Amino acid sequence: MHSALVRGQTVFGFFTTVAFCVAAFAAISVVFFPQAPSTSIKLRNVQVVKGRPHYYSRKKEEYAHVKFDADIDLASLFNWNTKQVFIYITATYPSSRNNEPPSQAIVWDAIIPAANAPSHHNQYHAPVGLPPPKKLKARNAPKLHTGKTGELHLKNQKPKYQITDHTGKIAERGNATLELRWNVQPYVGVLTWTNWNDFGRWKGLKGGRSKSFEFPALKVTSKEKLDTMKGGEGNRGKPA
Amino acid sequence: MADALLEQIRDMLEGQIDFEGQRLAEILATSLLIAFGTLAAAVGFLYGDIYLTLYVFVAGTIFTALAVIPPWPFYNKNPAQWQNPQRGISGVTIEM
Repeated sequence: MHSALVRGQTVFGFFTTVAFCVAAFAAISVVFFPQAPSTSIKLRNVQVVKGRPHYYSRKKEEYAHVKFDADIDLASLFNWNTKQVFIYITATYPSSRNNEPPSQAIVWDAIIPAANAPSHHNQYHAPVGLPPPKKLKARNAPKLHTGKTGELHLKNQKPKYQITDHTGKIAERGNATLELRWNVQPYVGVLTWTNWNDFGRWKGLKGGRSKSFEFPALKVTSKEKLDTMKGGEGNRGKPA
Repeated sequence: MADALLEQIRDMLEGQIDFEGQRLAEILATSLLIAFGTLAAAVGFLYGDIYLTLYVFVAGTIFTALAVIPPWPFYNKNPAQWQNPQRGISGVTIEM
């Protein structure tokens, strides 16, 4: 400690130690924030059409186009150490062979930023609707985004992705469900995924699975009805 | 002339402090950093914003560095009393 250089090294060295301890506290503290996520998800419409995986492909595959309703409440996943939550909705259905695990394909996804997260064009922001007209009775009024982070009300939501699997056949396959999954990304600490079971103060996801449905038979439909939705990430750097 | 100037600059950059000052500087560096770390975690946790933790801790570290690194006068209040150099009694000289 006799010279300025040595004192500088001491301060910086101990700064890194304390910084590590503060970060460890932040990472561990999330376990003590209670979580009670809940979701109800309903299939709205599903169609299966023939298509090509890309423009020059000669292989024709079957693609399922899934529309759904979902009321998602993941507000309790956001605490002081949450940067963003990635949510995705999968269609889960048994594989063609019995000894294989069920197939999962992502139908729709979104990045929900915390209120203080730096802005990015890939983030999902719920469409803000006009307030309901006064004449409309309260019970008939459509649900609007409440502005609470982590609460989403999706009505007749178009998929982002049309789904198929490695067999190329998806029509008339049964016992499929839509499931909500998430990935919490903290500022410091570990990533956590959907928990269906209780864990300490974290309650498991309530709901989160639709009733089982069957992919319908192949059908020729007009192109507009099979629109997919683009997220911000589809714009390649341009704002959504 | 140039040598004297260089010596002055070297002294300023080196920033020597006395032994008591060194003890004080070490205690200050450790306790200030721990105090600011605790304060930063508490403020961020209570206000629910981890950015506050970052800002408070960075500010606290800069403050600690400014308090500890320069040779402030209060680190030089107890200069060591060196003995006067003694001439060799037996007339032994060491050639270096």
